[in-house]
Amino acid sequence: MIEIRIHGRGGQGGVTLAKIIATTRFLKGQSVQAFGLYAAERSGAPLQAFCRYDTEPITNRNLIYEPDHVIVLDPTLVGPAITGGLKAGGWILFNSPEPPAHFAADYPSYRIATVDATAIALEHHLGTRSVPIVNTALAGAAGRMLGFDLEDINAALEHLGFTGANLTAAAQANEHVRVLEVVQSDEATPRAAPPLAKARAPGFLGGLGGEFPRIKTGQWATEQPKRQQMVPPCNHVCPAGNDVQGFLHALAHDQTDEALAILLRTSPFPAVCGRVCPAPCMDNCNRIGLDGAVNVRQLERFAGDHGHADVKAIDQRDEHVAIVGSGPAGLSAAYHLARFGYRVTVYEGAPDIGGLLRSGIPTFRLPAEVLDREIGRILALGVTAETDHRIDRPRLLDMARSHDAVLVATGLQELRGLRLGVADSDAVVQGIDFLDRAHRGEVRVDGEDVLVAGGGNTAMDAARSALRLGASSVRVVYRRTRTEMPAIREEVDEALEEGIEMDFLTQPVALADDSVGTDGRARFRLTCRRMQLGEPDDSGRRAPVEVPDSDFDISCHRLILALGQSADLTVFPEGTEVREGEHLLGLLETPVYAIGDLATYDGTVAGAIGSGRRSAYHIHEALSGELLEVHAHAEARRHVDVWHDEVINAGAMRLHLFERTAPSAGTTVPMATRRSTFDEIHQGLTDAREAKRCLSCGVCNECDLCVTYCPEGVLKRVGHEFVFDYSFCKGCGVCASECPRNVIFMSHL
Amino acid sequence: MALELVTGNHAAGYALSVAGEANRSARGAACGIYPITPQTEIVEYVAKFPFTKGRVVPVESEHSAMGVSIGASLAGARAFTASSSNGLAYMTENIMVAGFYRLPIVMVAVNRTLGPPWNIWADQGDTLMLRDFPWIQFYCEDNQDVLDTTLLAFRLAEDHRILLPALVAMDAFIISHTQMETQCPEQEQVDRFLPLLDLPHRMRQEHPTTMGGLVWPLEGMSQRLEIHEAMARVPEVYEECREAFRGEFERDVGGMIETFGTDDADLVVITSGTIASTARDVVRRRRQRGERIGYIKIRLYRPFPEAAIVEHCRTATKLAVLDRNYAAGQGGIFWQDIRAAFQGRRDDLLIQDYLTGLCGGDVTPVMIDAVIDDLGGRREAGSPMWMGIDAAVEAT
Amino acid sequence: MSAGTEREPMPGRVEEGLSIPCSEDCLLRPGNTNCGGCGMSVGLTMLGRVLAESGDTCSLVIPACCGIVTAGGFPTTSYGVPVVASTFAAAPAFASGMASVRDLNGESGQVICWAGDGGTYDIGIATLSAAAERNENIIYICYDNEIYGNTGGQRSSATPPGARTSTTPSGKREGKKDIMSIMAAHRIPYVATLSIGHPEDYARKIRTALSLEGMRFLLLHSPCPTGWKSEPAESLLLVRLAVASGLFPLYEVWDGRTYRISVEPDWTDPAEYFSRQNRFSDHLIDLDATRRACREDFERLRILAEQFPHVD
Repeated sequence: MIEIRIHGRGGQGGVTLAKIIATTRFLKGQSVQAFGLYAAERSGAPLQAFCRYDTEPITNRNLIYEPDHVIVLDPTLVGPAITGGLKAGGWILFNSPEPPAHFAADYPSYRIATVDATAIALEHHLGTRSVPIVNTALAGAAGRMLGFDLEDINAALEHLGFTGANLTAAAQANEHVRVLEVVQSDEATPRAAPPLAKARAPGFLGGLGGEFPRIKTGQWATEQPKRQQMVPPCNHVCPAGNDVQGFLHALAHDQTDEALAILLRTSPFPAVCGRVCPAPCMDNCNRIGLDGAVNVRQLERFAGDHGHADVKAIDQRDEHVAIVGSGPAGLSAAYHLARFGYRVTVYEGAPDIGGLLRSGIPTFRLPAEVLDREIGRILALGVTAETDHRIDRPRLLDMARSHDAVLVATGLQELRGLRLGVADSDAVVQGIDFLDRAHRGEVRVDGEDVLVAGGGNTAMDAARSALRLGASSVRVVYRRTRTEMPAIREEVDEALEEGIEMDFLTQPVALADDSVGTDGRARFRLTCRRMQLGEPDDSGRRAPVEVPDSDFDISCHRLILALGQSADLTVFPEGTEVREGEHLLGLLETPVYAIGDLATYDGTVAGAIGSGRRSAYHIHEALSGELLEVHAHAEARRHVDVWHDEVINAGAMRLHLFERTAPSAGTTVPMATRRSTFDEIHQGLTDAREAKRCLSCGVCNECDLCVTYCPEGVLKRVGHEFVFDYSFCKGCGVCASECPRNVIFMSHL
Repeated sequence: MALELVTGNHAAGYALSVAGEANRSARGAACGIYPITPQTEIVEYVAKFPFTKGRVVPVESEHSAMGVSIGASLAGARAFTASSSNGLAYMTENIMVAGFYRLPIVMVAVNRTLGPPWNIWADQGDTLMLRDFPWIQFYCEDNQDVLDTTLLAFRLAEDHRILLPALVAMDAFIISHTQMETQCPEQEQVDRFLPLLDLPHRMRQEHPTTMGGLVWPLEGMSQRLEIHEAMARVPEVYEECREAFRGEFERDVGGMIETFGTDDADLVVITSGTIASTARDVVRRRRQRGERIGYIKIRLYRPFPEAAIVEHCRTATKLAVLDRNYAAGQGGIFWQDIRAAFQGRRDDLLIQDYLTGLCGGDVTPVMIDAVIDDLGGRREAGSPMWMGIDAAVEAT
Repeated sequence: MSAGTEREPMPGRVEEGLSIPCSEDCLLRPGNTNCGGCGMSVGLTMLGRVLAESGDTCSLVIPACCGIVTAGGFPTTSYGVPVVASTFAAAPAFASGMASVRDLNGESGQVICWAGDGGTYDIGIATLSAAAERNENIIYICYDNEIYGNTGGQRSSATPPGARTSTTPSGKREGKKDIMSIMAAHRIPYVATLSIGHPEDYARKIRTALSLEGMRFLLLHSPCPTGWKSEPAESLLLVRLAVASGLFPLYEVWDGRTYRISVEPDWTDPAEYFSRQNRFSDHLIDLDATRRACREDFERLRILAEQFPHVD
């Protein structure tokens, strides 16, 4: 008689394996037994199955205590108990990807065989992913060990109703099973002989029956839950490098001051950006796929407007840094350097501080008092500002010798023009200049028909300012379509709502005098040509191509050009290549960096702020040797096991777990009053409820759903720490499945 | 103590009620009840009784009647119920549990023939069907016996050395619906006789346990062993209870068995229930005529009073067992217990089974005379004798 | 039980020391033998949490079902509250006895029946109905996994139509018994459906039940990955889909007279729910009929909720 004992887990098919082996012998006319030891265990719990076969009728009705061979279905069951009573000369067959030598040390007395039945079962889709059914594969391997023909194994499988994939699996395992024949010792593992009369167990009359369970169900697990953190798309794309998820989390928990503090770590201009940023964070918000992006812009404004912060320098240093230009890049660099403790002086050519923030953005988008408040915070750190102070090349070299570092943040001073066949006409003005004069109250266009050429924010700002300065009509001509306009989408929408007309695919070609109007003012005639979109150019947008014979005229009093800007590099020595973070003026020891639009051509306030910060960090590293982490979101690590420096996209979020709620837009001034005043149009949000719509993509926000759903109650949060009791965790995967933001993942053991 | 003219059902209902009431200064009494002929008056009595601290729950089946009683007992109240024949059959699963949970529930059972075909008259098959369970079983002879035994059963069952449920059986109609003079004790007497119930393993919030979860073979066997040992203590504790009963009620409730004329008997008639009354009269008459004949009434059936029976048949050569019950293919059930008792001790004894009064047949002195005559003339035991019907069944 | 005992360890038992890292006790202790991802486990864990927060104590009456197997082998138990195993049909009867004695003695603490659908819809329905008719002061929670789970997955009258079980290999022909209407018809103080996929709703309904007296019946849709042949990690997704598609409406009925709907389905196609469970195959389900039935049944419910709304 041959006796085989099988160790497996519920659901792996251990009892059926016993049956398969028995059936091979049954079909050969032998006497067989196949049975399992049943108790209360469920899927995943350890159990035993048994098989006997003999040429004589079998009368033994006990469990198998001294098997000839042992089969182990689950590598995690390996332990001394499985070989109890195994006879010398027997073999142990393991379901394992390891070679037999791997087990030889633990079982020196026996022949070892291994086959990766799990891989075979998964390959042939036998069972589920978390509980693959390995029995048919192991039947093939065991049959080989027992000296059965493959036909006999197949016959048994077919007799039991197994088809196709099961037979293939068996054949595969039969062929691939590896055997280590050599044994190190002749000693069999003795079976502890059970006494005939066992001590009785106490009953429940004495109050027993309340002891804690002893089974470490953690041993059932084939996977364990771990925590990870990924980068939310908003954090990834923010040009300023803000911890967007971080400040939204604070607002969602009514911590406005904390939200502001988080923003101020990276940007000194939350209230400004909350009004003028194009908000790429919103364009990349994973909530778009559900019910609309979180209104991050308005929330940043809310934090900037309503939060209180007391920003102080963290250190005091002797080094003195000069910054040329007080636009967003220069001021951002000044802010960060002053916080690090450096002595900072900002040199500005205009009469007031702020650069394009002040002169290029109209107050109906960015009120002066808001800008002043945020600039004030920077100056309060001890930054000195010198206005009406233009810098030329000699002055720059002087500065480099008398300071420890110099940052040049002069922006894009060169304004692109158009050859319109009219030299020096009063009718034509650059948008940037127009806005500057409007800011100083030095221009009106009452009753004028105004044309604006361009599609960026300057064009929109100039057009909308012209409207408010009395224009009787404002029209924008742009050589591509609405889709290609670089202006902030909302700006274009608002301009259209305010009654500004737009001609797309229209290129100005020539300007000529026209008749004098009845009001006595000179009129001009702008000849325009129709365009159509061709192949994409360097900017990636489809280039406009002239449509022949399509010219037409538009009459106007004034033409505003807003066709883009470029850098004025005359302040640098000739041949200097200007890129952000480059040590310019290489002959000098002093680090001299170009920052902001001058270096990046980015064109946004947030981009400039980011450039300023990065450069401040570079300067700090150059001067102190200390390297600081640039990405703020790295600080947002929430007690995780793994940190992924990759962005989490909507596909990795469980959006279906969130209820749909429409975004809040905040209130705006009614149209009737809007067009005639430079007062701020957007009134912002009345509360920060919108922040609760943030999904906290890839970053744990302690929603505690994992804790709520854990069937075993083995996951607890203590403060900010998540504690998994792995000694009991069964690896069911519910927590990973239910985390809406992909923080928990199942890690194979 | 008042002497009343009441039926056996009334006596049972009264006993259960006053026993329950006696626990009013502890955790009280509660039970589930369900009617079935011929037990109905018992539950009606209990339902009408004005318990100070008790609840009687009329439920939708016997299974639930025992279920409610089990729940009540687990919570520490004195619990009881009553049933008969098919009601007992329906209740069986929970009857078993009461025993395995070691709950001192007292159940009055009116012995009625099992069916269908429907038959409402006396037969002990319904309670004997339960004989393998951890229940103490008493078979009563008359109304007084029912009342007294029921009261005593509480004291016995609730003793911490026992903690097993107890069944008190009476013949349908012959006791249940027959009015006879019965001594009914006062509540104060019962209060003194029955200690307050203190169930050691009752469910407690401060010590949470799971009653009845999975047990492995060793634990299961250990619990059976405990039951076995508790059963073994029944005779000793019974005698203490009997003494206490005598002390309070100035009456002897009787022993586990009752004997007459067995000191020198050659023939002994063994029986239970109301048949015992008739048998006693016949034996007494024949003894007066000089026959060496004795009789044994079995009152306590489980645990089976083997030693006492063997002792009282010392002089006997032949035994007649009168069974008002029948196990298919076997014969009378008391007969089997008695044969087993003498196995290896008195293999010389001729033990003959007489099926008397099956399915409610009336057992008259004439029949018992016929039994004794048959016994006297026998050389060897044969297959069970079916009294009152033509039967020719070969010995098996 | 000391180490060094002569007893042989049974398979699956770990004879290590008795120090278990459970700093506080809980209703369902870790180390139980439930399948990973068991819906009943989630239900018990959530119930325990609500009870702990409300400060209510309880005893459980558990008939034959997975719930009592959960307790594990004597003398250990996975339950941190007093539990009695009742016979299959008799949980409400046992509970009635226990609750009666509690009330007679002026004690507090809930007596809660925790039963599967087999014991509730089938073998125990008479006992349940009688307890309801008597308005026993107990809570009865049926965790409905739509099969006799403990015995390997046979059909019960709670099994939905089309489902394959070990006794309905070609899919169940009959529909799912409407136990909620039956219990509501008893006009007991409170009946409600619950889903572990909606934890706040679940908690609220438990608290409502705790605050009332008399018979309270709660029906919990409980996913069984083993019986439903689904991925354990998807257990919550499944019951959420059941609610969203109208297959398992969440609602409450007071005194059998006033109604309130808890969650509006968004009418996700039930095919989504069926496709994730191997107990359902396309050819066994009449999808159109199912969609219609969901809508009609919910419409009926809506009419009741509108005509007889519950006012707190």
